[in-house]
Amino acid sequence: MQTSFEHFALGSMLGQSDMPPKDNGSLCFGAPWQRQAFGMAVALSKQGAFEWEDFRSELISTISAWEATHDRSDPSWDYYEIWLTVLETMVERTGLTDRAAEAS
Amino acid sequence: MDRFEYSKDREATNAARAHALEALLIEKGVITSETVDKIMAIFATEMGPFNGAKLVAKAWVDPAFKKLLAEDTMAAVAQMNFPTKGAGAEGEHMKAAINTPEVHNLIICTLCSCYPWPILGLPPYWYKDPSFRARAAREPRKVLGEFGLDVDPSKEIKTWDSSAQIRWFVVPERPPGTDGFSEDQLAALVTPEAMMGVAIVKPPVN
Repeated sequence: MQTSFEHFALGSMLGQSDMPPKDNGSLCFGAPWQRQAFGMAVALSKQGAFEWEDFRSELISTISAWEATHDRSDPSWDYYEIWLTVLETMVERTGLTDRAAEAS
Repeated sequence: MDRFEYSKDREATNAARAHALEALLIEKGVITSETVDKIMAIFATEMGPFNGAKLVAKAWVDPAFKKLLAEDTMAAVAQMNFPTKGAGAEGEHMKAAINTPEVHNLIICTLCSCYPWPILGLPPYWYKDPSFRARAAREPRKVLGEFGLDVDPSKEIKTWDSSAQIRWFVVPERPPGTDGFSEDQLAALVTPEAMMGVAIVKPPVN
């Protein structure tokens, strides 16, 4: 398959409920931590820490859970905050950071 | 307890969480301090509307390239030395619809949100809106009017329906007032909306 992972990652989100915000066709980030969270998720999946589809399905279900408990126009909506929460969950599931988790 | 309850200093909290997670992954040797930058450089430089803008600008200055773009779009894209060669997901079967003084082209997808994103970037939210898609197919002139684009009544409007097999993009007309512009200067004028056919490329503002 010629598809590079980054293409695959974005392509799988096109037109879906978990599509990231964008500006003039490009990804856009409102703060450095959003970019950091996005980049970490793609990097970890690319190197096999978790399947991208697993990350996405967790993201989609978390977005659905938010929508079920909030009005669609609720200004407290923050796409990347949900992204970050999902990323933390996925990292925890991998067990990659277990020792440090105990120490904290 | 509300799992989506927010702290008062929400931005600072999120920044601290992201930082802590990255620091932990670096400490564990899972990633390095450069990993995020490397990943994001790929998104920033390889995929987006800047690729399409370069195609359009080249077509404006090079009639032979424009002809190739119309007749064998993928061969023209292959000449561009895009990092991805235009290949990969969503980019494998792109086709250019060239605007002329007689014809204005509009790309839509009545079935889904097929979109040539390696060259246009991610589609805007309204592109997947069912009413936009249906109406653009039925009454394109009126829909374009709502976008603030009044197409000259003498011009024919052609709509191109993208599918999983073919993903269309529009080569807009070169605006007046751009004689002697370099390809880079021209590319800077081209917007994703113009390459979808819902806008035209405006002359440069002096």
